[in-house]
Amino acid sequence: MADQIAFRVNGTQHKLAVDGARSLLSVLRTELGLTGPKLGCGAGQCGACTVLLDDRAARSCVTPVSAVAGHSVTTIEGLASNGKLHPVQEAFLEAQAMQCGYCTPGMIMSTVSLLRRNPHPSEAEIRDALAGNLCRCAVYQRILSAVQRAAQKMSG
Amino acid sequence: METSETGITRREFLGLAGGLMILVSVPRAMMEVAEGAAPAEDINAWLLIAPDNSVTVFSGKVELGQGIRTSFAQMVAEELTVPFSSVEMIMGDTDSVPPDGGTYGSLSTRTVGRRIMAAAAQARQILTDMAAEKWGVKPADLVVTDGRISLAKDPTKSVTLGELTQGERITHTLPAEPTLLPVSEHKVIGKPLPRVDGPAIVTGAEKFVGDLRVPGMLYGVVLYPPSFGARLVSIDSAEAQRLPGVVATVREDEFVGVVAERQDVAAQARDLIKATWQETRHPAQGSLYDDLRASGAPDGTVVNDASVPTALASAARSFKQTYRTSFLAHAPIEPHVALVSVTADGATVWVSAQTPFPHRDAVARALGLAAPQVHVFVPRVGGGFGGKENPSLAVMAARLSRAVKRPVLLALSRAEELTWDLFKPAALIDVRSGVDAAGRVQAWDCDIYNCGARGAEPPYGFPKHIRTLRCNSPLAQGSWRGLGGSANTLAIECHMDEMASELGVDAVEFRLRHLDNNPRLAKTVQAVAAKYGWKPRRAPTGQGVGFACAVDSGSCVAEIAEIDLDRSTGVLRVRRVIAAMESGLVINRDGITNQMEGAITMGLGMVLREAVRYENGKILTDSFAAYRIPTIKDAPAIETVLVDNPTHPPEGAGEPPLFPIAAAVVNAFFDASGKRVRQIPLLPETVLAALKA
Repeated sequence: MADQIAFRVNGTQHKLAVDGARSLLSVLRTELGLTGPKLGCGAGQCGACTVLLDDRAARSCVTPVSAVAGHSVTTIEGLASNGKLHPVQEAFLEAQAMQCGYCTPGMIMSTVSLLRRNPHPSEAEIRDALAGNLCRCAVYQRILSAVQRAAQKMSG
Repeated sequence: METSETGITRREFLGLAGGLMILVSVPRAMMEVAEGAAPAEDINAWLLIAPDNSVTVFSGKVELGQGIRTSFAQMVAEELTVPFSSVEMIMGDTDSVPPDGGTYGSLSTRTVGRRIMAAAAQARQILTDMAAEKWGVKPADLVVTDGRISLAKDPTKSVTLGELTQGERITHTLPAEPTLLPVSEHKVIGKPLPRVDGPAIVTGAEKFVGDLRVPGMLYGVVLYPPSFGARLVSIDSAEAQRLPGVVATVREDEFVGVVAERQDVAAQARDLIKATWQETRHPAQGSLYDDLRASGAPDGTVVNDASVPTALASAARSFKQTYRTSFLAHAPIEPHVALVSVTADGATVWVSAQTPFPHRDAVARALGLAAPQVHVFVPRVGGGFGGKENPSLAVMAARLSRAVKRPVLLALSRAEELTWDLFKPAALIDVRSGVDAAGRVQAWDCDIYNCGARGAEPPYGFPKHIRTLRCNSPLAQGSWRGLGGSANTLAIECHMDEMASELGVDAVEFRLRHLDNNPRLAKTVQAVAAKYGWKPRRAPTGQGVGFACAVDSGSCVAEIAEIDLDRSTGVLRVRRVIAAMESGLVINRDGITNQMEGAITMGLGMVLREAVRYENGKILTDSFAAYRIPTIKDAPAIETVLVDNPTHPPEGAGEPPLFPIAAAVVNAFFDASGKRVRQIPLLPETVLAALKA
């Protein structure tokens, strides 16, 4: 059942012999050792597994790995460059927008995706874009503020 | 004073450690904690000051996101007078930390936190005395700053704390009244320091249990029964066993599991098992509250003021209402997970749990081992909320690991997490009250079915008779961020609000009238009213503003909620919440407001939407699509006020801010509509029915 699937992850080209029906999340976490994306529901309903597929947020738990062949995946591990945090990561730290931290990687990746499409989102647009990322610690007010802060940083 | 049970490993650990180890033996009298959770052993706070002047603090508490990894370090840095960055916390590791009952009940800060703060103060004292003796001066001639003791008159004569220790080991019993630094000298305590784990969290480097990889590890799944109470009749796992990648199918009595090279393979194999079950009959959800009432058996008396029956009989006005709350799931985003390695010598357990020591004991019992042969380590918990206390998952992982003689990672699926949870108890609460001609409550008579005594006693100075009743619950129940406290507060604060509006008295004024007995809460109520700009009002005003307050875990909290009500759809949205809390000495100003904001927003799920639904012994709400927790779309604007009381010791803050929010929202609905709803959640259909009534 193994297929040869080639795709880029965090800038590095990989060619893996894996069952193409497996979830991208499973392959990232098992074969590639990238455990930043988390398993929260396995059904694309909580957003903890969010990665960028090319430039867009994708729920890696419901994305078959075959679907990413020839594409580029960015996980939370690939966001900082040369030891410098991405502005969204900085903003989440500055706003202290976390408690347990389990949803944070997915929350950050969804934010990066949002700000690429819409660099100056309104509060309502932020709420819409992140409505599929659940945080049981419910630090949403801080997350909202982190996203606004990140938008400012990236435009300034 | 090490106990025999864990002494060996800890002695080994101590043998490796150079520098000054302060073992603080806490007198039993000081170990009284709520909920009968006193740890069984004496040594409760350890500090190690190494020759390089670094400080290590050992605590059996675990980091759930509540921020104690940061705030505990602040407490030690302050009292030891060392740089914050030199303090490292070792937490939740049963081989190296003092025994601890678990991280729950908003207890960490007000029990262990106070102790390690006292231990640090004690260590500073000991080291100052050592320096004084060494230099032939009085301790009063010395000053301690930044981890260095120097002569006040001649600052060039100085020594670091670490240099002083020189491999000595001292055990001290904590004095009953440790001498802490005066609040006016605090430099680290109270500061809004960022959480120490933040950078690892935002880069994805932070390791949760499911992220750990150990050599030879395999993945397990459990075959759960199709409904609660179902008994296994027969099983055929031949086909599952043949699936490539399957290492073993395991059956021990009615416990059935599969171990495979990968998680998805294990789950596929589990689905190939042919099992027949004998299922049992279950009561329908529709009769829940009738069933609770019918099965209620007297369980305890919370308070019994003998004047209550007479006062009720002679009251100028009396009130009688019943309040109902639903079963709730914990629904942490990280499902339960354990990685267990059973070897010939013992077992190592990495687990996402609030209770490392009870986990150690349970795994040891299940494997027939002595407790010291089991090493439990909780690296970090992806949300607990009272749902990660039970050790059953770690025990199952241990059984799988023992069967295959390799490490096994066992994680619940979302459906399993939402099904095999120990739910927050549904509650049925009867309140009868009597008010005299002057509008003062003279009697509070209350029966609490199924949710227990936490938060049962109104904080007000009137006579009360409160009983709890044990009931037959259709679902397995457990703790949920404050046990029954939020349900009891709903009953208390909705009833207070109802009396106030019936009497034509302002809601805040009515509370304050009954708070002569509790100046801390009165001050907190006044603080939130001031922040809001509360003007005396006679509800219902149509504006949709509600008030509620509570005392819990030593903290006082008062909240005002503003709602928007869509009268055509019945959708109620909380627009804004103002919250004041007095928690004694504030350790981390930002950490505590983070807890307030999170608890309030989480509590909105309880009042607006969350309710476990079940049928025939199955949970219907077994996905996030069916069990809808608050999202960022529900998040109100929250403004917090910390009421200053720094000479009061630090109190619990994780649960109290959740207590009043449901009542504040229900009271806001009354203010908007003039209709009382006494059952939550306020689903749109409930709201529409109330508006029509």
